[in-house]
Amino acid sequence: MSELRTKNVPVAPRIEAEDLPAPRLEPVPLPADPRPRTRVGMPTLAASGLAVLVFGLAGLETGNFIADEFARSAILGWAALGVAATGFGLVGLGFWREFKALMALRGVDRLRANLHSTDPVRRARAARAWVRRLPEAETLLPAIDAINDPDAILALLQSGPGAALRAKSEALGRTAALQAVAGIAAMPSPGLAGVFIGWRGLRLVRQIAALHGLRPGLLGTASLVRRTVTAAASVAGVEMAANTAAHAVLSGPIAQHLAGEMAGAGVAARRMLVLARAAAAACSPLSEP
Amino acid sequence: MSGWFDPLFRVSDNLLELVGVGGVFSRTVRIGVTGLSRAGKTAFLTSVAANLLARGNPRFALAPLGATDVPRFDHPRHLAALAADPPRWPERTDAVSILALTATIERAPFPDRRIRLEFLDYPGEWLLDLPLLSQDFTGWSRGVLERVAKSGPRAEPFLAFLRGLPARAAGDEALAAAGHRLYRELLQALRGQGLSYLQPGRFLMPAPGSPPPWMGFFPYTGEGGLAGLLANRYAAYVEAVRRDLASPLFAHVDRLVVLADILSALHDGPAAFADAYAALAASAGALRWQFSLSEALQSLLRLEMPPRAIERVAFAATKSDHVAERQRGNLTALMRDLARAPAGGARVAHFAIASVRCTEDFVWTLEGRPVSAVRGRVLGERRLTRSYPGEVPDHAPDPSFWEHKFLALPAFEPMALPDGGRLGVPNIGLDALLEFLLEDVL
Ligand SMILES: Nc1nc2c(ncn2[C@@H]2O[C@H](COP(=O)(O)OP(=O)(O)OP(=O)(O)O)[C@@H](O)[C@H]2O)c(=O)[nH]1
Ligand SMILES: [Mg+2]
Repeated sequence: MSELRTKNVPVAPRIEAEDLPAPRLEPVPLPADPRPRTRVGMPTLAASGLAVLVFGLAGLETGNFIADEFARSAILGWAALGVAATGFGLVGLGFWREFKALMALRGVDRLRANLHSTDPVRRARAARAWVRRLPEAETLLPAIDAINDPDAILALLQSGPGAALRAKSEALGRTAALQAVAGIAAMPSPGLAGVFIGWRGLRLVRQIAALHGLRPGLLGTASLVRRTVTAAASVAGVEMAANTAAHAVLSGPIAQHLAGEMAGAGVAARRMLVLARAAAAACSPLSEP
Repeated sequence: MSGWFDPLFRVSDNLLELVGVGGVFSRTVRIGVTGLSRAGKTAFLTSVAANLLARGNPRFALAPLGATDVPRFDHPRHLAALAADPPRWPERTDAVSILALTATIERAPFPDRRIRLEFLDYPGEWLLDLPLLSQDFTGWSRGVLERVAKSGPRAEPFLAFLRGLPARAAGDEALAAAGHRLYRELLQALRGQGLSYLQPGRFLMPAPGSPPPWMGFFPYTGEGGLAGLLANRYAAYVEAVRRDLASPLFAHVDRLVVLADILSALHDGPAAFADAYAALAASAGALRWQFSLSEALQSLLRLEMPPRAIERVAFAATKSDHVAERQRGNLTALMRDLARAPAGGARVAHFAIASVRCTEDFVWTLEGRPVSAVRGRVLGERRLTRSYPGEVPDHAPDPSFWEHKFLALPAFEPMALPDGGRLGVPNIGLDALLEFLLEDVL
């Protein structure tokens, strides 16, 4: 009853300032988009296990050995420790480099997916992140901030730094092609020529990777070659590109079987050009995913 | 060279669009946004642009404008101003601009489908020029003078001038100029009282640049040389309205958003409220609500697209972030009670929106009772301001409502815009409105 009565008397409207200063209001943040978690596959697990076994057991063995040496004499012990530390350190460094290179390759994949994503915000952010690493960053970053249109940003990157990278990759490809022709002419046997072409192809892939800011090691190069083969399939206007690229790079060691095919210098030269294009597509985040 | 080909192309294009072939891959949807001055049109368009461009699917991009002479709506500038620290609201609009977006809808094996959306931003005062398109000078003058006669002592100088004119005044430039000046002063005074049904709109918000001679007229029901001069100028004025507002958009809108700042109108009092209502109704009445076969045939003879009728109307009460959630429900109900679409087949929906959200809801204990209120920072202040402007009625306000106070809305500053507005603009109800407006085309 009393509630009813109070309800009927309206509260007088009012507007009042609070006592303390407050920051500008923020919108309630949107839920972050869930990233698909990548699952670790069986081969990776097995390889990791094997690596742990090999290095763990070797480490234990070495530890025992060092302890024994210390038991004999301090000098011998210290020497053994020094040798073991240097050896394991170098191996570790190698692995670390390899790991970083692989991660960099993954990074390119992620960047490519983001640059081509349908979410304009993700796109713009990826573009900025990529451009920051380029020498042209100083002129490009303000341009990107000013553009504010994700399609135009991609167009700008493709016509600016993208075109420059492509041109440099093609130049590397041309040099490699010339060297391939010269090499084939100079090699005494077709077998050796095959090896030479394989090595030159591999080198070209690594050169182009370096051009794109990647420094692949052994595993990195293998993964890069695999990517190059897939990329070659999608590089426009190149027939049989996948085959060519794969042959040029992978057939080196078994060149004997391909000797007949390798004999033509023109073919080898063209393969280098195709390879350059495919490798650039594999390394550049601007290419279509 | 291509001159005599043009009509041919136009016919074929129009025929294609007519039979719907063009419509399979692309279509233009023209969305009229009507709102009196300060209703929140520019804020609405800025927020629409930012929120659509931030969407992932379908993907939106700014559409090319080709060689039209209507400038592009400068949403990046407005957005930057809202995002700045301290933020600024858009200035009063003094010219027409167009916001054109394309949505690309991917349909995997088929070619992409493109939808072009067009919105027009313009000074709110100009909205009331739309009814002039279907009125002649005498008819218009009669209507205006009727309204003016009811507006009290403020109108006296102008009315006295009219009474002093001889029955058949000569077409004298000085007379026209004097009458124009008096009428303009009257309009300004009436606007000062909170009225908005004021015509012609350009007398209150002239286009940039020096005024053309045809601006110099005033409502007049007499005859003779002066009447002829004024009627000619009126005709030129109407032509400018057709060029600037009707032909770029309003002559062929197929969706309509009616924005009304109802909360401010509740503060302004019964006279201003009724006047704003009449003004909105008059401008909506000037649009095309029904498909007319004879008009369609006529435009086909002129090799043009037949005008479409309005298919959907969204009535939206703007700035609804000035009241809390519960009151926003009332605001929508009030809008529903006030606004009905003129006859025709249009689908209608009502909303309470805030294009650029400025406040958060909170419960304020007043006189020992919990009241749902809002708080936000007022422009230029560092402290939060709590606001409970009064109770929003859920039906057209009756005399008893006007006995209570409804406070003026404080000038809140927009919330911080994440990433400079690239992620969109925080708002209330904008998504629902766009969903209703475009659900069948997107
Ligand atoms: N709190 C709040 N205020 C708003 C909102 N939208 C607009 N306003 C206020 O309303 C004022 C007018 O908004 P505009 O968008 O400039 O209005 P307009 O219809 O373009 O006005 P004209 O250009 O004069 O026709 C702004 O300066 C703001 O103070 C909103 O969503 N929330
Ligand atoms: Mg405006």
